[in-house]
Amino acid sequence: MIQHDLDANTITMINFGVREELAAKAAPAPGWAYVPDTGVNSSVTASQPSSRKRARNANPNTSSHDTTAKQDAKILRELAALDRESHRDVSIPVPIRHRDNAGRISHGKVTPAVRKILQSQKTFANHLSDYEALSALASALPQPSAPAPATPAIRTPGTTTPHPASTGKRTHRKRDLNVPPVSTPLRRVSTPSQLATPPPLNSESTTDAPMTDAPILSTDGIVPPASHPADNDPLLMSKIPPLPTQEELEKLLAIPPSSYNEARGEWTEEDRRKPIRKFCEVCGYWGRVKCTRCGGRVCALDCLTLHQEDCFTRYGA
Amino acid sequence: MPTKSSAPQAPSRTLVIDNGAYTMKAGFSSAAGPEECRVIPNCMARDREKHVYIGSQLEKCKDFGDIVFRRPVEKGYLVNWEAEKEIWEHEFFEDKAPSHCDPSETGLILTEAPNALPVLQTNCDQVVFEEFQFASYFRCPGPVLNAYNDVQATFKGPARDPAKPVLPTEIMLLIDSGYSHTTVTPLLQGRPLQSAIRRLDVGGKLMTNYLTRLLSLRQYDMRNDTYLVNEIKEACCYVSRDFHADMEQTWKGTRGEKRVPGSIVKDYVLPDYHSRPKGYMRDHDPSTKKKLGVPGEAEDILTLGNERFTVPELIFNPTDIGLRQSGIAEQVMESLSVLPIGLWPALLANIIVVGGNANISDFIYRLQRDIRALAPAECIVRVARPADPILATWEGGAALATNTEALSTLSVTKQEYDEHGSAWVARRFGGK
Ligand SMILES: [Zn+2]
Ligand SMILES: [Zn+2]
Repeated sequence: MIQHDLDANTITMINFGVREELAAKAAPAPGWAYVPDTGVNSSVTASQPSSRKRARNANPNTSSHDTTAKQDAKILRELAALDRESHRDVSIPVPIRHRDNAGRISHGKVTPAVRKILQSQKTFANHLSDYEALSALASALPQPSAPAPATPAIRTPGTTTPHPASTGKRTHRKRDLNVPPVSTPLRRVSTPSQLATPPPLNSESTTDAPMTDAPILSTDGIVPPASHPADNDPLLMSKIPPLPTQEELEKLLAIPPSSYNEARGEWTEEDRRKPIRKFCEVCGYWGRVKCTRCGGRVCALDCLTLHQEDCFTRYGA
Repeated sequence: MPTKSSAPQAPSRTLVIDNGAYTMKAGFSSAAGPEECRVIPNCMARDREKHVYIGSQLEKCKDFGDIVFRRPVEKGYLVNWEAEKEIWEHEFFEDKAPSHCDPSETGLILTEAPNALPVLQTNCDQVVFEEFQFASYFRCPGPVLNAYNDVQATFKGPARDPAKPVLPTEIMLLIDSGYSHTTVTPLLQGRPLQSAIRRLDVGGKLMTNYLTRLLSLRQYDMRNDTYLVNEIKEACCYVSRDFHADMEQTWKGTRGEKRVPGSIVKDYVLPDYHSRPKGYMRDHDPSTKKKLGVPGEAEDILTLGNERFTVPELIFNPTDIGLRQSGIAEQVMESLSVLPIGLWPALLANIIVVGGNANISDFIYRLQRDIRALAPAECIVRVARPADPILATWEGGAALATNTEALSTLSVTKQEYDEHGSAWVARRFGGK
């Protein structure tokens, strides 16, 4: 990244289309620089959890990198702090008289399973890593004698390799909108019979469900009732793609839930190409000035002065 | 094969619990219609006098200074049953519980966040049947219940016929933006299209913590007052219609060229928990700033400028804090991208936003505009929020419970659980 040392009293900057006049009356201070915000994304750390497109995400663009490992670590630290329930560690125990239903009208004997659940102090992160370990184990194990049933019936031919050993890899999402999307095989330890179990609404136990034989979507009723000037434009009408068939919809609905990590929303390719907005660490306005000591951003001289006091105490002169 | 008719009669009354991380929404419903819904803090709390509050007891708390919380729902998922049981006992099962019921004569509809961990789902099923022994039970992702609300009426269309049984909306796209995160869930006939569910890890907690950080850096240390900061956020924050213009209006200018703060800048008068139990927002008065710290002065004031809109902006631009995810509008398009294009027009025209963040001023306007900019030009984009986005999921569940036949086909009975076990129940509720 090119840095322009301040050598004029007035500098004109362009920030996201907004032209800013910076009137700097003071003499240039050492240790800082004006930085145009045209940098390409990549300044955020690579060690945040990624999701479905793990393979595609593995190599974020590395051009125009203007952050350091120190700054990446700082972002990670700050994100972790923003995720916390409270600033301090707190422990609020359940009143002792209530434990194991003592002194309370019981619902009956506590079963061993429930006792174990009530005593567990695992966090969500604990459970998630347990799940990931189990999934990794399941995908590492050779799939025993599960040829046909292990491949869900919803699989569309040609979209994945049918080889059972491929279960450890995620299939990249397809953009082909004419093909119903497919899910990748389960990575948990599952018996073929579990995999073959149809979802509940298709099972015989719910044959009395009122909608079973009815079409999933009628062609009327889904067009919004609010009228729109283009509603009856034959040109536009013809462009609206046809509804999927009943069979396609059933396939879609039969796809099992994704895992927690798989459902995490992407940072899209397009967004990665956009510049990341930088803000003044003191006042929150655009961070157009970069402190060369710590890499922090400030907006102008007032905030720089404040920042530098802080910066000196942290990093020394 | 036992059929429904041989099973004991379905319970006439259903307890609907939308078990959120910040608050749970709970109340009864039956064929006669929904009863009152209570919004209950889903937490145990301890104030600085070391007094512990459980769930709705928190309304008795008068001093929220230095208060700390223990929440059984973490990241949107029910993780700690020890604490949750304490709260449920207090709210539903103890003799003096405000919403008292006998679970063995009551059905339960319980929400979970989408993409839950199977082990947490099994824990939940076991506690519901083995500990509380509810007569029947339907566990589902919260977004699903919204399909039972009158979606067309939310879009100012004709209201549905109250004489007819409640059926799920044919097709909709449900955005749930709560305390823990924001999820996008397309729904067909009240069934989620699982492969298209997307989660953005920005919710009310992250925004409150971010506001806490900004205020602590710029004004007072608020790090032990997140409860108060949440109130400040709810009173002051809004989604910007023009981020750059609002940024200019709230900038103090340079040393040589001070700017007069625009009307966006507001003061928040902090509560003192004596004469002023609640804080409030008012127009910024530059002269009050100087009075701070003067003995005898009764008011402590925080001034909010760009904090008012840079905080909710995180839902639209998570990378503003370095979070590697695209914003909510992009997540909607990502969700659609795995679905047949034939479903897009109906989904884009029926987007409903629920959860506390839907109450942030101009959230709906901005979301509709941002999706409009990304969606195919031929598609109509309509985004709306129900009258009360916090209660909406509960209301959907309560509406479903009025259709006892529909609910019983979705539910599992205690008898079925005893016969088939928890793995069967997990599959029945669509888990893998
Ligand atoms: Zn500044
Ligand atoms: Zn610095």
